[in-house]
Amino acid sequence: MSISGRVWKFGDNISADNGIIQYSQVPDLGSFDVPALKAMLFVLIDPDFPAKVADGDIIVAGSNFGHHSHPHACVAMKASGIRVCMVESTDSAFIRKGLNNGLPIVPCPGIARLVETGERLSVDLAAGVARNQATGRELTFRPYCESMLQVWRSGGLAPALRERVQQARIEGVLP
Amino acid sequence: MTMGQSVVQKIVARAAGRDRVEPGAYVTVTPDYTCCQDISWPARKRIMEEAGVTALAHPEKLVMVVDHTTAAGMGSAYHRNHGEMRAFAARHGANFFGPGSGLRHQVLLEQGFARPGGLVFSDEPNIASIGVVGALNIAVSTEVVVTSVLNENWMVVPRPVRFVLTGKLRPGVQIRDLAQIIIRDFAETDLLSQSCVEYEGPAIAGLSLDERQTLLACTYHAGPDTALMPLDDKALAYARERAKGREITVFRPDPDAVYAFEKTYDLSEVEPMVTIPPELHTVSPIAGVEGLRIDQAAIGTCANGRMDDLRAAAALLAGRRIADHVTMYITPGSREIYAQAGREGLLSIFAEAGATVLAPGCTTCWGYEGVLNDGEVGLSTHQMNYHGRNGSRLARAYLGSPLTVAASALTGRITDPRSAFAAREVAT
Repeated sequence: MSISGRVWKFGDNISADNGIIQYSQVPDLGSFDVPALKAMLFVLIDPDFPAKVADGDIIVAGSNFGHHSHPHACVAMKASGIRVCMVESTDSAFIRKGLNNGLPIVPCPGIARLVETGERLSVDLAAGVARNQATGRELTFRPYCESMLQVWRSGGLAPALRERVQQARIEGVLP
Repeated sequence: MTMGQSVVQKIVARAAGRDRVEPGAYVTVTPDYTCCQDISWPARKRIMEEAGVTALAHPEKLVMVVDHTTAAGMGSAYHRNHGEMRAFAARHGANFFGPGSGLRHQVLLEQGFARPGGLVFSDEPNIASIGVVGALNIAVSTEVVVTSVLNENWMVVPRPVRFVLTGKLRPGVQIRDLAQIIIRDFAETDLLSQSCVEYEGPAIAGLSLDERQTLLACTYHAGPDTALMPLDDKALAYARERAKGREITVFRPDPDAVYAFEKTYDLSEVEPMVTIPPELHTVSPIAGVEGLRIDQAAIGTCANGRMDDLRAAAALLAGRRIADHVTMYITPGSREIYAQAGREGLLSIFAEAGATVLAPGCTTCWGYEGVLNDGEVGLSTHQMNYHGRNGSRLARAYLGSPLTVAASALTGRITDPRSAFAAREVAT
């Protein structure tokens, strides 16, 4: 199961709370105000981004992506149609926040040199291969393991848990 | 040729049921325990209910601790939450530790849940302090729900990084000062991302278990996923005593284990440091902020709520009074520590000095108690210092060692503890 889409490429050290979105400007931290989050997506880097981004797009970014994170940044990307973030490096907490919201965030060293904004990229999370569809050049990365793929396919932590609980009951692991 | 493995690889490999794991790989693991707390419990419970959870695969592996909201009073929603957690634990057969038991970090160690070679999934990266007995903490936040219910989850195998400690701390300097230096050095880089800091070196034998926990609990803020100390006789003796016969697996690094990089810190070069708000990497030698007037002083938290910390504070506070304009709070990390502080006479020293001792838990660190007003300055052993962390967004939260906090409470201004010791010697 492969993801492919149009790339938006950004640089290094993009903070989740003051780069991907502006956490201090989120109107209500207690709930996810999706329209407000979408309206602030990457505007600190590209003020027109919310108008340009389309369903199925892919983010490519440099090192230290999404540091200082709250999950709101992941909700903003997912709700704006982003299918996957391919990055030079990020932290484990941000990968968890992304996947729990159905958005794979993938460390893939070298990705910033593989594609440019506007090119199409395909990503196979299970095989660990990213491919520039224009040039045919490929990079490998650490593939997601089966339990991560299950969360991704289900669309996030809550629906994945529901499926797993049902499965566990069928298998007799849970009463 | 297959390279050797570090301790973190061996712990993850055991939890994954494999002979070896590669740093950076994603693996599915079975934890020895899952640990969760009260403040996020309503959200966790909601996810379980939505998923139709009616039973846990291994309820005996779930450790539920009330540490954020230790004394829920009239008008608070927290007492209801305590009751729901208690009822949930009773219904499912999970482990429950109510208000005043202490920080999860301490409960895991004192009750022997954190044991050498074990893996704990928790909702708190600073619980890496359990690395003092060679237990590995992996912070998963919301996913404590998954591990509580299913007894397994994914994790990335942290890249091993080695920090070598040499030398000996000088009088008036504490391991907390080194922790702030490490955060200064790494917090704004990705050098430690997805790593486990494995401490080594000749200085560790001279560090108490409390000091080791302070360092481990703070290391996360420098960027890694988790951290570990080596298992020496001192650590192993404590772990065995607390394990009460339960399984222990002693892992040591292979001689040819590969580390992403190595960094050495000489403890004899460390001096008292103060972290300046609102960032954690802006750390200054104390001379840079000496004399700044403070309104509140607080000692406690998962960084510095242990016996060593309380004894150090008491050594400066004994027979003295804190400045009239300062409010001082001291929080023992657990009920066990509270009791020991009582036996050693520390509680009366604190009371006579004008400080207030709070019930074991997180207390002032997130503003459950000891809330700062607009314009006020706090100096504490807390873990965070961003605007609004424990009170007004217009307050300023400075961080330092227990000795620095105690010395500053006495004068009402940020004070070098080395000068406070010098004054004490002149007076006596």
